[in-house]
Amino acid sequence: MKHHILFSLFILLSVNLLGQSFIKGTVTDAHGEALTGANIYIEGTYDGTTSNLEGIFTLETSETGEHILCIEFIGYKTIRREININSDSLRLDAIELKEEINELNAVTITAGTFEAGDKKKSISLSALDMVTTDGSSGDVYGAIQALPGTTTVGESGKLFVKGGDSRESKTYIDGTLVYVPYSSSSPNRSVRGRFSPFMFSGMMFSTGGYSAEFGQALSSVLSLQTNAMEVQDQLNISLLTVGAELGGTKTWDNASVTTSIGYNNLTPYMKLVPQYTMFEKEPQSLTGDISFRLKTGKSGMFKFYGTLDRSSLTTIEESLENPGSTYTYNLVNHNQYINASWIGEIRKDWILTTAFSFTNNLNRISVDSMKLNETLMGTHAKITLKHRFSDRLRLLAGSEWYSRTYGMEYPVAEMEHGSYTDNTITGFMEAEMYASSRFITRLGTRFEYSDYLNRSSISPRISTAYKLGDRSQLSIAYGWFFQDPDNPFLLQTRDLQFERADHYTLNFLMNGESRMLRTELYYKQYRNLVKYGLNDDYTYDFINNEGKGYAYGLDLFWRDRKSIKNGEYWISYSYIESIRDYLDYPYASVHNYTSKHNLTLVYKHWIERLRSQLGVNYSIASPRYYNDPNSDTFNGEKSLPYNSLNFNWSYLLKQNVIIYATVSNLLGTKQQFGYTYAAIPDENGFYRSAPILPEAKRWFLVACLITLSRDREINQLDKINQY
Amino acid sequence: MKRTTLLLGTLLIAAVAMGQNEKYYQKMGETLGQFANINSVEDLQNLANQFHVIAGVETAEWLPLYYEAHCYVLMSFMDQQESSVRDGYLDRAESLIDQMAEKAPGEAEVYVMKAFYHTGRLVIDPPGRAMNISPLISAAIAKALSIEPDNPRARFLLISNEMGTAQYFGSDTAPICEKARQLLQSWDDYQLKSPIYPNWGKNEAEGIVTSCDQ
Repeated sequence: MKHHILFSLFILLSVNLLGQSFIKGTVTDAHGEALTGANIYIEGTYDGTTSNLEGIFTLETSETGEHILCIEFIGYKTIRREININSDSLRLDAIELKEEINELNAVTITAGTFEAGDKKKSISLSALDMVTTDGSSGDVYGAIQALPGTTTVGESGKLFVKGGDSRESKTYIDGTLVYVPYSSSSPNRSVRGRFSPFMFSGMMFSTGGYSAEFGQALSSVLSLQTNAMEVQDQLNISLLTVGAELGGTKTWDNASVTTSIGYNNLTPYMKLVPQYTMFEKEPQSLTGDISFRLKTGKSGMFKFYGTLDRSSLTTIEESLENPGSTYTYNLVNHNQYINASWIGEIRKDWILTTAFSFTNNLNRISVDSMKLNETLMGTHAKITLKHRFSDRLRLLAGSEWYSRTYGMEYPVAEMEHGSYTDNTITGFMEAEMYASSRFITRLGTRFEYSDYLNRSSISPRISTAYKLGDRSQLSIAYGWFFQDPDNPFLLQTRDLQFERADHYTLNFLMNGESRMLRTELYYKQYRNLVKYGLNDDYTYDFINNEGKGYAYGLDLFWRDRKSIKNGEYWISYSYIESIRDYLDYPYASVHNYTSKHNLTLVYKHWIERLRSQLGVNYSIASPRYYNDPNSDTFNGEKSLPYNSLNFNWSYLLKQNVIIYATVSNLLGTKQQFGYTYAAIPDENGFYRSAPILPEAKRWFLVACLITLSRDREINQLDKINQY
Repeated sequence: MKRTTLLLGTLLIAAVAMGQNEKYYQKMGETLGQFANINSVEDLQNLANQFHVIAGVETAEWLPLYYEAHCYVLMSFMDQQESSVRDGYLDRAESLIDQMAEKAPGEAEVYVMKAFYHTGRLVIDPPGRAMNISPLISAAIAKALSIEPDNPRARFLLISNEMGTAQYFGSDTAPICEKARQLLQSWDDYQLKSPIYPNWGKNEAEGIVTSCDQ
């Protein structure tokens, strides 16, 4: 026994007494280029070394026998090689490390897509940009309209993408559909997005060819990711020329709650600044919201967001049918929205996402004594599972349930109440395959079934991207896209099918460290669009799916953050040709929400000495077309070109106080968005008209944003500090 | 006989254990000594590799991970290549910090390194990242100070943040300079838990005081 122990001791000691041996070799990449700085070591021991400038290494060790030699280098796959060490030196064959495809080196699909996140190389548009880009005072959609592929439609404010109507563009928050993304307003008055850009830390805006994950959108998808967990307790006070907001955040180690309440009333502002629109009661709104974040386990994150909003306005409109008389248009909007989601890694390389949203929207409209209630209740539940088989293959599969009840009721008139409910079930699957870090192909398919229409669709989607060089790449996308016909038609008939658009997109991107050039050519073909005739009482007659159309165009985008010190600029240009034969069009024609040429110039400058950021935005768009019923040509009249110079200024008064001011249409250029016409002709058979104007010549806003916290370090500097 | 065996066995285990421990301290000491001779990204990579090898053997220890992360963060500062390379170093640092935070959630130094790492992310693209990352830096410093109010590195990061803000607003830096002087005076009072514990930052703190005196 004793001998045994002594023997063990001897063995233990002898290991150290034995001579050193050397392991030599060379580390290269797949092209045979030497890799400097690779880590070569014997697993489980202190023996290791680093490859030199020629990729050569010499590892000195006192170990003998079977061992595992690890060769590691950042950005490459680790090699683990079995070696047998004896006292001689060991010379290894050239060791070739394979590049690991990761978020930082892999090519990404850019056809149709603008993407921005925390770590992404090419930030096209960050949440911050949304606040400082345009003259619309921090409206998400206002900022998106500075990107190519969009058309500015002044009397709407909504998104119109590549010849598509605004209802063909859908907004998703944390994966689920926002049924009512815009505020409500009276006809021909511009609306805004319901959500503050500060809620979001990532966004993906796709103007075509998007992933099979997204459906029910013919033209575009805006997918917004809300902020991660808040990390600091604070109180926010915002005072604006049109209202006030109070918000607070409370944080814990694994959770945070943020809540805010806001009240806006435009009465004082509109009394001061002359408006084109006549108000009996100026717009006002009351909003409350709460958001909650909870870290679950190691990687899980639960998010909840809920908001309640009530807004109202009453305008006085001139009657075109009865000249000299007026009527009042009153709108009260109630909106409730809830969004909940959980994302987490359930096993290594398996990511599960579940998300749910609920919208309840009510528009109470009164036109004099005529009353109309429009209701929409929507639910969206979604589950997706993502699996990473390797760095070269990822699979995404998921399923969704959409439910929507839309109704119109006429509380005073002896008219029938109408409502319908649709349930749509979907399933999708998509594979992302990397042939190398330079070449990706994404293949997907999507299935949808609507119980109301009793129809189903299958949409194939394919896109690829190929890196031509270090800084340039080519990307193409193709797919079929389906969407339900618009609510008013579905209210009348279920004998309709999905509308369909096919997208073909070719994109070329050059992306330097702080410069980006993006060009895109596209063609879109529309079929099964809704067409109808009108009865004498203005109800729809023979609603059918025989509408069709096409659009093609060119988008250009240049962003430069380098050439001008403390400044950056973008140029965004879109050319579009778009023809449709749908709705009540007598024949195929240009529709009224497309400008052939759209140009936006954005410039931002940071003035250190004044602790200020100045932003200038100039938009110009060629005339749109509108229809004059007095003319023989349909949609044959041209409106004025659109022209607007917007200006904003953010000034850091103190560490925790920001003053923000903006004015849109600084030069007061005449803006007019075509004409509206009387529904019926006068005694001479002439349809009377009135020009469609913006609310006012210019829009001003001054805001003061204050942050209070126990920790003096916190301030709002981050919100505007650009350089 | 039995007793002797037991005794010998215990001794043997103790000897091996102590040997291991000694070897760990010795190896860490050697490697830390190389910090003084860093001139390039390559040097830092070499150093990071050595800490990585130690971390692979000493799986219960958090300090090798700490120093490996420190190397990668310093590389992101030193390397003037494009942001994807610098973010690549920081991705590596991030995963090391996560591992370390799991092993030693009660160590103030873990959060000091976290604050330092976030600063690395921030400086790559201040305009695009300040909004999301600045609060993370402040929160990490606050967390470190809540664990160890007298931690000199956490205090140093806080003072240097305050100094930056004060200079920016042109407000009085005298109180901050006073804090920096106090920090420097008491710097050596802080007892390191062991000779291989983090011990950087004094030079930088001296830098602040020197600029105050000018």
